[in-house]
Amino acid sequence: MRCRSATVVFLAIAWLLPQPAEAERAVVLITSDSCPVTDISALDIRKAYVSVAVSVDGRTIRPFRMDGDELLNRIFYQSIVAMSQKSYERRALSMALKYGTPRPPVFDDIDSAVDAVRRLECSVLYLWKEDAESLDGVRIIKLLWQGD
Amino acid sequence: MIAPKKRRTTRLCRPSATLSILLAGLCASPVAAESQQELLLFPSLDTYNTFKEERPEIEDSFVRGTLNVLYSYSGERFRFLGEYLWSSHESELERFKGGWQWQDDTMLWLGRFHSTARYWTSEYHHGQFLQTPITRPSLEEWEDESGPIPSHITGLSLEVDRQRGDDSAFGYAISAGLAPKFAEHELVPYDVLDPGSDHGLAVNFRLVYRPEFLSPMQVGFISGWNEINVVSESSPDLTDLDRIDQLTVGGFADWRWSDFRLIASLVYLNNEMKYVDANVNDDFLLSYVQFEYAINEDFTFFGRTDNGFDEDLSPYLRLLPGFIAHRHMLGLRWDIASFQSLTVEIADTSRQGEAFDHDNFKEYRFQWSSVFP
Repeated sequence: MRCRSATVVFLAIAWLLPQPAEAERAVVLITSDSCPVTDISALDIRKAYVSVAVSVDGRTIRPFRMDGDELLNRIFYQSIVAMSQKSYERRALSMALKYGTPRPPVFDDIDSAVDAVRRLECSVLYLWKEDAESLDGVRIIKLLWQGD
Repeated sequence: MIAPKKRRTTRLCRPSATLSILLAGLCASPVAAESQQELLLFPSLDTYNTFKEERPEIEDSFVRGTLNVLYSYSGERFRFLGEYLWSSHESELERFKGGWQWQDDTMLWLGRFHSTARYWTSEYHHGQFLQTPITRPSLEEWEDESGPIPSHITGLSLEVDRQRGDDSAFGYAISAGLAPKFAEHELVPYDVLDPGSDHGLAVNFRLVYRPEFLSPMQVGFISGWNEINVVSESSPDLTDLDRIDQLTVGGFADWRWSDFRLIASLVYLNNEMKYVDANVNDDFLLSYVQFEYAINEDFTFFGRTDNGFDEDLSPYLRLLPGFIAHRHMLGLRWDIASFQSLTVEIADTSRQGEAFDHDNFKEYRFQWSSVFP
C-alpha cells in the first residue's frame, strides 16, 4: 500500500514538473549543407515566404513549407510571416497573380521536404529543432521560435 | 437611344490558336531543379438584374460563368506569365509576357500586359476572388466593358520595388507599347495575331509608396499617354474622327485602419479628338471611393461611389454609351471557406447612353467566386 502511494505521489510530481522536451521545443530554419549562406534576417525570411525575391550573399532563397502539424502551422503564421492565415494566403495569391511568382511549395511529410532542401541549393524549410538535429545533409541557419 | 447590349466577343481570338501558343509555352518550359510553376484557376458565377429602370428598354439580366486561368513559370532569372479568360460572354488572352529579373527588385517584361497606369487593374487583374466587390470601378473597367482608358498594352514594361532603410518601400513601373484602337463603341486592344493592325503609342507610369515593405497599404501617382487610332468606318459616330490623344494624370490610395479599409482613385483625363477638319478638346475627372468594414473573419461589408466631374457633357464619353457614369453601391461578402466566397451587391447606376441624359436604373448582383488549387 505504501509502495502504491509513493508511486502515485511520484507520478503526480513528475506530471506537475515542466517536461524538458516541451520547455526546449524550438522551430529552426534549415538549408542544405552546400548552401554558403550562414545567416538570414527575419525580414528576408518573411519576404521569401510571401513570394518576394530574396538573395543573400548572391544566392536566391527558395522557401518550402511544411503542413500537417497544427502547432508548427500556427508558429509559421504568428512568428515567421507575422500575419493571419487568411492574410498570408491572400498575399501569396496576390503575388502570384500580379508578378507570376509561384507560392512556396508545401510538403506533407518531413522526408520529402528535407529531400527537396538537399536537392535545391539555398532552399529553406522550417522544422522542429529536434527533427532538424537528426538530419544529414542539412544544417540549421536560424532559430525562428523558442517555446516558453 | 439605348446603349448596345454586350455581345459575345472573342479577342485575340482564334482561341484555339492562342491556347496552342499557351500550351506550347507550358510544354516547352524546361523543368529544371531551380524552376517552379503555378497554375491557378479563378472561377466565378454571376447573376445580374436591373430594376426600377427609367425606361423599360433598359431592363437587362444575365447569368454568367467565368473561368480565369493563370499560369506562371519562374526560373532562376526568367519568368513567364500567361492569363486567359473564358466566359459565357467572351474569350480573351489577357496577359502573355516573359520577364527577366536582373536584380531582386527589378523586372523587365516583354509581351501583352495590363496598363501600369491603373491601380485596381494592377492589383487584381482578373482575379475576381481577390477583389472584395463584384463590380470594378467604372474608371477601371476593361475595354470591352466600355472602359474609357486603355487596359491592355503590348510592349515593354519595367517594374522596380525598392526597400528603403526605414523598411518603407518605393516602387515604380513604366511601360511603352501599342495602345488599343477605337472601333464601333469601344477600345480594341492590339491583337498579337494581327501584327499588321494600325495601333498608336501608349506610355504609362505608376509610382507607389508603402509605409512598410510587406504591407498592402499604399499611395501612389499614375499617368499615361495613349495615342488611340480610330477605325472611322466602323460606326457613323466615328465619321471623320482620325485619332484620340489621351492624357491621364491621377493618384490612388489603399489604406487600412484595424477593420476598416479605404480604396480611392482620382484621375484627370484630357482627350484631344482629332477630326479630319478640326480638333475637339475634352477634359474631365473620374473617381471612385470604396470603403470596406470587416465585420469578422468571414463577413465584409462594403460600399463604393463612382463619380465624375465635368464628364456629363464629354464628347469622348458619348462615344462609349455603355460607360457607367455613376454608380453608388453597397454590398456584403461572405467568405464561406478559405478560397470561396459569396457576394451580393445592390447599386443605383447611371449609364452614359448616347444622349446627354444618362440611362438610370437600379441593379443587383449575386456572385460565387473561388480560386483553385
